Amino acid sequence: MIPKNIEKQLNILDYALSSLWRRRLKSLSVLLVFAAVIFLLASFQMVTQALTAKAKQLLVHTPEITLQQMSAGRQEAIALTYSHQLAEIFGIRKVVPRIWGYYFDEVRLANYTIIGMDLSEIPGNALLDTTLLSGTMPEKAEQGKVVVGQSITKSLELGGRLTFSLFRPDLSLKSFEISGEFAPDTDILSHDLIVMNLADARDLFSIPTGLATDLCVYVTNPQEIETIAKKISAALPGVRVLTRPQIQKTYQVVFGWRSGFGSICLLAALAAFAILAWDKASGLSPEEKREIAILKVLGWETGDILAVRFWESVSVSGLACLVGITAAYIHVVYFAASLFRPVLMGWSVLRPELQLLPRLAAGDILLILAFTVIPYLAATVIPAWRNATVPADAALGG
Amino acid sequence: MFLNPWSLALSLCSLVVLLLGAIAGRTAVRVLRFWEPGSDSNRQIRLENEIWLSSTLVAYGLGFQIITLILFVLAADQFCQVIVGAMCATGALLANPFGMPALLIKLVGVFFYGFWILLHQLDIRSEHYPLVRIKYLALLLLLPLLVLDVTLQTLYIAGIKPDIITSCCAVVFGEDIGRTANLMTGYSQQGLLATFIGSIVVLGLLGGGLLQRWRSWLAKLYAAGWLWFFGLALVMITTVVSSYVYAMPFHKCPFCLLKPEYHYFGFALYGTLIAAAFCGTSPAFAGLVRGRKGLSAIVARYQRLALILSLLLLVIFSGLSFYHYLKYLISGGEG
Amino acid sequence: MLIELCGVSKIYNQGRPNEVRALSDIDLVVEQGSMVCLKGPSGSGKSTLLAIIGCIFPPTSGRAAIATRQLARLPDRFLTLHRRETIGFIFQRFNILPELTVLDNITLPLLPLGIAPKERKRRAHELLERFAISHRAQFPAGQISGGELQRVAIARALINNQPIILADEPTAHLDTTLSREFMAIMQQLQVAGKTIVIASHDPLVFEHPAINRTINIKDGRIHVP
Repeated sequence: MIPKNIEKQLNILDYALSSLWRRRLKSLSVLLVFAAVIFLLASFQMVTQALTAKAKQLLVHTPEITLQQMSAGRQEAIALTYSHQLAEIFGIRKVVPRIWGYYFDEVRLANYTIIGMDLSEIPGNALLDTTLLSGTMPEKAEQGKVVVGQSITKSLELGGRLTFSLFRPDLSLKSFEISGEFAPDTDILSHDLIVMNLADARDLFSIPTGLATDLCVYVTNPQEIETIAKKISAALPGVRVLTRPQIQKTYQVVFGWRSGFGSICLLAALAAFAILAWDKASGLSPEEKREIAILKVLGWETGDILAVRFWESVSVSGLACLVGITAAYIHVVYFAASLFRPVLMGWSVLRPELQLLPRLAAGDILLILAFTVIPYLAATVIPAWRNATVPADAALGG
Repeated sequence: MFLNPWSLALSLCSLVVLLLGAIAGRTAVRVLRFWEPGSDSNRQIRLENEIWLSSTLVAYGLGFQIITLILFVLAADQFCQVIVGAMCATGALLANPFGMPALLIKLVGVFFYGFWILLHQLDIRSEHYPLVRIKYLALLLLLPLLVLDVTLQTLYIAGIKPDIITSCCAVVFGEDIGRTANLMTGYSQQGLLATFIGSIVVLGLLGGGLLQRWRSWLAKLYAAGWLWFFGLALVMITTVVSSYVYAMPFHKCPFCLLKPEYHYFGFALYGTLIAAAFCGTSPAFAGLVRGRKGLSAIVARYQRLALILSLLLLVIFSGLSFYHYLKYLISGGEG
Repeated sequence: MLIELCGVSKIYNQGRPNEVRALSDIDLVVEQGSMVCLKGPSGSGKSTLLAIIGCIFPPTSGRAAIATRQLARLPDRFLTLHRRETIGFIFQRFNILPELTVLDNITLPLLPLGIAPKERKRRAHELLERFAISHRAQFPAGQISGGELQRVAIARALINNQPIILADEPTAHLDTTLSREFMAIMQQLQVAGKTIVIASHDPLVFEHPAINRTINIKDGRIHVP
């Protein structure tokens, strides 16, 4: 047995749906505009969310602490001798020098990211192999072996060959052999990446022995990252100490800011939409006025008419949310958010092949609702009330 | 930090609620000035219509405020990712002095808007509209609360700087007393558990007694009991219930419960608690207007309904809060 | 005494330049089970009087009791609640919503009462059968004939089993046959115990033998010839 009050709301919902159906052209146009707004907003939110998750996942591979030599506010090569000083700090597991740089290929007009590092020295390096599609990471002793990202293979137009050459700064050639390839799901970081051992990278960039671009510090207990970072900072005052959590939070701020900026643009669209909703809902045709007056004479209260309008708004916005969010999910997952990659992604690493997989939590849906349904309901409440207060005697003739 | 989707959503919702509140406030002023019961002048007819508008606006406002309350906690949970040192919503809310007060005011607000809607529902059930003036006076008193709410929230968002170091929940509610001030120290778990169970039993007995025979002093006692229980339950959730839900003895956080990792358990828990506390306190509140013309039967009916609902919700809430604890006791922590 | 008006007046826009005195000092008593015709030219105030009897708005002054309930000083909401229990309305041109089906039109008054769809259908079909329009139940009301429309309107006024039926110029847009049919149905309803008030200046109505009493309204007053 359903209580009378709920039965009444169900009846009114029923009437509201049939009333929307009767005005299907008008309802559909509002629904489409609304769904489009929600689609844009949800796509933004999902891309941000997916990128954040992706970045987090990739940051797992970065060292807990990175040291860079600063001079006049700019980064310089760092001396390997620092690692002796660091050895005294308790809690450091390993210090591994790294050369991280960019190589501009003048022939193919492309930029490659080069990481030169003796990967076998990294604690827990077995994990790195899981990022590979095929082959193995270069060993410390192996000269000229590299692992490359997917787009490098394409860019170098290797065909079936496994060797290629790059220029040293003095324009002499250095040849490399590909020993492995990164898996596509690490694309965000690896697609333009060439990984080689430290000696090869030093040779390629002509960096003197005893120097590297940065030092990667691995710690025993991740809980102590901050403490160790403070100690390093005290021991080596001229060195910039970056911790993984810090980098992570910087990413967050950047992503958050970008999507915030996008939201502002969308707010403008939303405002326009609210005006439209207002306009649609407030224009009361004589037929509608007559209908409401008839209902009132037949015993419908003002509150009942308000409830009709409320259920109409809820149905329209609920349906629009469903359509918009689903479309956004398809757009982000299957089309890699192709509509606004230029706005959201300032860097060029994102390729169409990149798989974005947003995990939509209830909170994200609530956020989207807050941006769309709440302004819509608020914009329609006063017109709805105007509607509902049409006097009953308007239905009487004479 | 306004350029963040969560901050923007919160600010947008607050603006909308403020706007609705302002329109309802305008009606309130007009009703207080011009209300003439029994007259059929155009102005009176208009005012009678505006009563519908204002009540709808407050009802929408209440709905939106509940959404903002949830949004606020979830937003804090997002902010913690950009505040160094904060690992969950607790840390983010403590990042500046406005976080917790804003949350508190929002929570109090939900109760007050609910009470106003109750007042309105009682009022329109009597053909004399006996509460019209009280109702609109109360509405005008709600507006400063709303403004305070929005101000605190705005100050909080403005004060979030992505690099302040704050304490995370493990420090604030955890048990290692040596390091930082702990909000919840000094409670022994066993004692708390006993008090909690005792309070549930006492509330049940009070409610049962009221159901047998209505006494207004007992209703007041019952309402006071619910206020006490509401606070107690929040402490209980933070210090005892949460760690059983997380299955981690040192993770004591009232907000992480709301996350999908814990199947949104917090929503069920807080949802029932807030609804139960509302139903438990409102009979005494409604009792205040019981003497008004034409209201006694209506109020009595409502009081009985609310009382039964509050007892029902109390049972559900107890079940929810002990569910993980009992599961732990039975499975020995292996589940 | 189902309808009892004593000294009823209605003034629109009171205290304004466009003030209109629509009714003054009306005394009227209608017994249960009788059929009364309010007769008068348009603008005479008979629609206003019908609206007061129909609990659409309260009188400006005077006492009006419909089904033993005092209307004066009653807020709009309570007028509505009272109206839907006591009054069945038949409008001029019937005011049927053309896009809804016949069934949906008839059950409109039941929606805000919280009556379940099954019960609504049961009651509607009972009436549809009684008026021999069952076969039209699922038709859009805009597509049925005038005679059927008239019976739909009557069925709608009876759906909540209200004791009073009010009709506002029901025959103004009907031909003679349909007008006669309308009055025949009204007579049946009166025999069944309903109290009926019809506002009309159609001789087919006020000269109909079933009419117990004709009340002449002129310039907002009851006119005794």
